[in-house]
Amino acid sequence: MINLKDIRDTARDMLTKGEVRAVIGWQQGSRGMAAEPVVITAPEQADSLVWNPTCYHNLSLYLVNDKKAQAHSKQKPTLPIAIIAKGCDARSTVVLMQENYFRRDEVYIIGVSCEGTGVVDEHKLAVALQGAQPTAAAFEGEDYVLTLADGSEKRLSAREVMADRCLECREPFPKENNLVLGEDKTGRSLEAPFAALARFEQKSEAERWDFWKHQFERCIRCFACRSVCPMCFCDECVVDSIEMKVVPATTAQEKADRVRWIERSATTADNFGYHMTRAMHLAGRCIDCGECERVCPVNIPLRLLNNKMEREARERFGYEPGASIGASSLVASFRDDDPNAFIR
Amino acid sequence: MSDEQVYEPKVVAFLCKWCSSAGSDLAGVSRIQYPANATPIQVMCTGGVSPMYVLSALRKGADGVLVSGCHPGDCHYIEGNYLARRKLHLVKELLEFVGIEPNRFRMSWVSAAEGGKFAQVVRDFVEDLRPLGPQDKVKADRS
Repeated sequence: MINLKDIRDTARDMLTKGEVRAVIGWQQGSRGMAAEPVVITAPEQADSLVWNPTCYHNLSLYLVNDKKAQAHSKQKPTLPIAIIAKGCDARSTVVLMQENYFRRDEVYIIGVSCEGTGVVDEHKLAVALQGAQPTAAAFEGEDYVLTLADGSEKRLSAREVMADRCLECREPFPKENNLVLGEDKTGRSLEAPFAALARFEQKSEAERWDFWKHQFERCIRCFACRSVCPMCFCDECVVDSIEMKVVPATTAQEKADRVRWIERSATTADNFGYHMTRAMHLAGRCIDCGECERVCPVNIPLRLLNNKMEREARERFGYEPGASIGASSLVASFRDDDPNAFIR
Repeated sequence: MSDEQVYEPKVVAFLCKWCSSAGSDLAGVSRIQYPANATPIQVMCTGGVSPMYVLSALRKGADGVLVSGCHPGDCHYIEGNYLARRKLHLVKELLEFVGIEPNRFRMSWVSAAEGGKFAQVVRDFVEDLRPLGPQDKVKADRS
């Protein structure tokens, strides 16, 4: 059980002593019970930090944003930035360091162990509460305690309303850390890893296509999945080329010469191209924080695609994303005994 | 249209400059007969074949995509084909995962001396593609 006071004290201490320039954490949001990410820079702001089942955001995204802001302002800070990281946040931070997005000494990782309670899935919760609006959520052992709008409290088993990614999580403990709060409960797996994927793969080819066709038809290309992903840090996305400035002097030839592998229109074919490309770009990098699936406004199960790549990397290439800063990346390395049988 | 008429699939073939392109050339100068369904696109190395080449070809209406390069160990750039093997294995798995027929994507190793093998690879691929018919799952609707 993590004491919120410990998180606040740690953040306050570090800011007071001037060890870090800011702490990335969560504060109470303005939408019901939900927490929201916050970057605090003064010790007195530490009391606004929270830790509850709605801390589902992957905060390493804000490390990326911080780095981008540095590049934009052309200023190099001398102090590191601290991040409060769950198991998944710590893994994605490792991937970012593996790709030299920032150095290890530029980040101070305050690990928080999920301890088997994970974070909440708001869809499951809405079903469990039958529409009642919770105003606050808290951890309590293996349960979540929710305060409803009428002031009453409801206790739910975490397992019932936990996000799928947390049920299947293999590493709820942030291994890469400078300091860690909470107990290491690695090895606990409430559901078999890749369980949803294995269930999906039982389907026939035709059923799989029917399923994905339906999903690709519904995608509205809002790019929420891309915006929320800490790995999607490119300034210009290859599937969404927006950097070309079309001015009156731009010739038709110049417009035609612009390479567009995948069009921006939200049609089945182009959505297929977008999601396949994204899955490929995340292969060996996605650490299954499940944020893309959570933010999707039309509930496309994007985790399936990323999980497929993750399991493939694990089983065929013995590669574990986010395990080591020094490892070379999945698609930039090879072994002599990689699968060869599919090649004629 | 007679019942005898068979579907002629369109194949986009990404051939590496150093082995498979030369192999297809050898098939040509050796006068080996093979189906004319494949449109060759020369790339410098299979390692440079982005997954997006494959996806884009399918989107533009290719019925099958073939990627062919040097045998393992023979890459002009030492390790390009090893990287391609890993990357395109993932593409193949992903395409099958979303329900595209496994025979729509194929990879082969064809050296510059294997004109006969190149012809056989194209022949086999076209034979496997014919029963699948036109690929309209992810073809962009241009109407």
